[in-house]
Amino acid sequence: MISDSLSSKAKRTAQISISRHTLMWLLITNVAILSPLYQQVTVWSLAICTICIIWRVGIYLGKVARPPRWLVTALAFFSAMTLAMVANKIGVLTALINLLILGYALKYIEMRSRRDVQVVVLAGYFLIALTFLQQQSVWSSLHLLLVTLINTCVLISLYHDENNFKYAVKLGTKILLQSVPLAIILFIVLPRLPPLWMVPPQGAAKTGLSNTVSFSNITELTRSSELAFRATFVGDYQPINASLYWRALVMEDYDGKQWQQNASITAAENAFADKTSSKEPTRTLTMPSLRMENLDSDTALSYSVIAEPSGQHWLFGLDRATSQDSGIKMLADFRLYASTPIEQQKLYNVTSFTNANLQVELPLAQQQLNLRLPEGQNPRTLALAQQFAKRYPNAEDRLTAMMRYFTEQPYFYTLRPPPVGKQQIDDFLLNNKAGFCVHYASAFAFMARATGLPARLVSGYQGGEYNQAAGYFSIYQYMAHAWVEVWLVDRGWVRFDPTAMIAPERIEQGFDAFFDPQQSYLADSPFGYLGLQSSEFIKQLRMQFASVDYFWSVWVLGFNTNKQQRVLEEVLGEVTRTKLAIFLIVSLGIVGLSIAYSAGLIQFHRSSDKHLNAYYAVCKLLKKDNLAREYNEGPQAYNQRVALANPSLATDFNKFTDYYIAIQYQVLNKKAQKRLSRLLIKQSRRLKFIIIKQKLALNKTNT
Amino acid sequence: MAWLLLLLMLFLLGTNYQNNLVMGLSFLLLSIFNTCILYSYRNLAGLTLSRAQTTANTFAGQACYVPVHIASKHNSYEVKLNFSEQPIEIAKKVFGPPQSALLNILHTHRGLLKPGRVKVESRYPLGLCRAWSYVDLDIEQVIFATPIQNNISLAISSQDSSEIEDTGRLVTGVDEFSGLKDYVKGESLKQVAWKQVAQGRGMLTKEFQQPQGTPLWLTLDTSSDDLELSLSKLAWQTEQLSSKQQIFGLKLGANSIEPAKGEVHRIAVQTQIALYPNNLREVNHD
Repeated sequence: MISDSLSSKAKRTAQISISRHTLMWLLITNVAILSPLYQQVTVWSLAICTICIIWRVGIYLGKVARPPRWLVTALAFFSAMTLAMVANKIGVLTALINLLILGYALKYIEMRSRRDVQVVVLAGYFLIALTFLQQQSVWSSLHLLLVTLINTCVLISLYHDENNFKYAVKLGTKILLQSVPLAIILFIVLPRLPPLWMVPPQGAAKTGLSNTVSFSNITELTRSSELAFRATFVGDYQPINASLYWRALVMEDYDGKQWQQNASITAAENAFADKTSSKEPTRTLTMPSLRMENLDSDTALSYSVIAEPSGQHWLFGLDRATSQDSGIKMLADFRLYASTPIEQQKLYNVTSFTNANLQVELPLAQQQLNLRLPEGQNPRTLALAQQFAKRYPNAEDRLTAMMRYFTEQPYFYTLRPPPVGKQQIDDFLLNNKAGFCVHYASAFAFMARATGLPARLVSGYQGGEYNQAAGYFSIYQYMAHAWVEVWLVDRGWVRFDPTAMIAPERIEQGFDAFFDPQQSYLADSPFGYLGLQSSEFIKQLRMQFASVDYFWSVWVLGFNTNKQQRVLEEVLGEVTRTKLAIFLIVSLGIVGLSIAYSAGLIQFHRSSDKHLNAYYAVCKLLKKDNLAREYNEGPQAYNQRVALANPSLATDFNKFTDYYIAIQYQVLNKKAQKRLSRLLIKQSRRLKFIIIKQKLALNKTNT
Repeated sequence: MAWLLLLLMLFLLGTNYQNNLVMGLSFLLLSIFNTCILYSYRNLAGLTLSRAQTTANTFAGQACYVPVHIASKHNSYEVKLNFSEQPIEIAKKVFGPPQSALLNILHTHRGLLKPGRVKVESRYPLGLCRAWSYVDLDIEQVIFATPIQNNISLAISSQDSSEIEDTGRLVTGVDEFSGLKDYVKGESLKQVAWKQVAQGRGMLTKEFQQPQGTPLWLTLDTSSDDLELSLSKLAWQTEQLSSKQQIFGLKLGANSIEPAKGEVHRIAVQTQIALYPNNLREVNHD
């Protein structure tokens, strides 16, 4: 009996402890936390979440009862099982997120005590962190900060049970804002560690360049105005547009339809990506010519790149790119390759040697590889190539002639080329005479190979939009490009861009100069015209936003050990452990004191009566003029003394004293009180001003 | 604790994915924790606890409620008060004039209860950290012995045991003034309270009463081995006699209380019983 009544009593008190106020907050926070995760949520989890939220609303309105515990447990068990089964398909991390979401939603409906609410709130914070893995822009960060605030308000509502919505918001904001300075200090000071263990990949969708290039697939990119990466050059160096050939992929295999990377390169890439610290890759990738002493440091060009998430490993660099960053490999074809797929913004530093030769000595196997042509295809192109070979026995003359060929014949550049048949290069080169970069590059490489010159296709991006305000280049997906590298004796791989012959503006001034954006990268976005190219003002605005985003990327997302070191050196000079500790303790003290002050823990001795304060403030100023008010001196007596000592002040001070006496000692109605109070404060300001002015004038005459 | 665990998890998540925002979130939560320490402290700072006037009326085995006045200079929320290992009393909001809170003490025993210091605790505003303090209010509470029903010993110290039921009871008489009642026609004019008539309060009659027989004396049954049982029996009889408005006295150990009646007397007697055998100390009562 006793235990029964006790437990029922406990239950009752537990139920009481979750107020409707808290329930309301929980509803809000639930929606706020789950909505940004929509990309990760599977349909089933979404369905269960929706049911839970509807149920919760029902409980809140008092329409339905709380579900029995066994039902919740069973649901949780089965959904966990299902998720475990599909984990391979949707990726471990997504499965984990879904599991957490389900747990969150289910816990949410069976919540009974304060402790349950706390668990839900903590899980909420974790879900916010998981959202941060996917969304890192300035706006989504601000949005998630707001969600954090809402989540914190749930906790406040637990301990402040007054049904006062505004109070919870106010206190929550106050606590959050007061906590931000310390958080920033910790962010700057606390060391960044390398990843401690392998984590499941985020499974971001692969975007950007594809590892095969054919006559059809770059056009898709030219329709995308998404950012691919951003680059900042060291110093004020601002390269011309035509020199910005960002290499990403090198393709040596051509099967008559598409170009793709050679198997040996992909094998090397995979070996590096799979490398688990213990072993070096089996095949040495570093070519002898990559030795640093061969490189002319005068032409070195240093820059940092912030790559947007692409889900791919390859990075972008100009010409012969080198990088000392960990987790980045320099491949044999002079590209940069990341050990993990780029699933969130990645900042890396590159030094490029623009005049350096690429691979002066070409091994025989690779030479043959780059001469291989699909058998029995494009006979007319082959014949054309033979003519070039006959007429220009010198390799460089021949290539120049081939380049010129594109301008001499009526070729034109279009993103919507006519279809090609089986003999695709023949069709393009001799029939259609219209195409985009891949067409020209393929044809050029094909012809070069046909005349015995090793040639390969390079895909990447060309150009960049310079942001004046923040001083960086933005490279968008629509700047995707393909060109050719031909190996020449003593010079190594030399870049040839036949597209530049047909559409020089495309290369010299950028993509926008050649194409009307509406026909290319804005064709698919209905608001493109409004958002991008319309007026100068909107363009400016867009640039400003882009600058904010850029600084966010560099200083927050890309804040790494190097940056940390630099910032700390700026603040502290030479960074030592003691200095760091002192800095941390001092800032902790300052932050603590200011919070304590604003929370009302520390009070400076100041009367809460503003009239008294106003009067004393003036008296204090006069005290410096050797006209201090005695402790036993009443306002009127003091007034007389002031009038005698400082006649210029007499009228004003007399008025001031009158107001003061009236407000302190007379019985006034509310309106008069208000009026006098205003007059007194005003007069006090006026007197202070006069006294200070007099003093300044006195000082001047003295000196 | 769970909070710090969450922070650690977030830090690891942020480190493993090299995600500065997740790390930033964990730092922010750590900073919030730091802020909350100050807020929790502030919630208790400036709180004034004082002992309220109490009247002892708790029998052993019952829960004892100790009233405490609590006041705060600024708003304090969710202040938990309790004696060690006793139920918690929560003051949801403390502001303005002192408000009282009843502190509960379960499982009381006969004698002088010294519950010790009051623990003042608060988890406001976020429940992340607990600020607590012990306040010594010097609280003492007399817990009466549990009354146990019995019939035997009423007559023990009564010198004249002929009419136990009526002994010590007051009957209407002439010795002691006991009160005023409305005048009924036919009553002696000598007994009319003329003073009250002069004050305009109407005709009232003065009532007198006198004790019937000799007063009862309650004494401890020394023949029994079980002291607690004997005391409990005395407590029961005290209650019984008091409820019947009988006059009785108490002789317990070296102390004795002169025969009397009324609430004050009952409490004095019960206190003596409660404190036995340490009842030599003079117990104040008013």
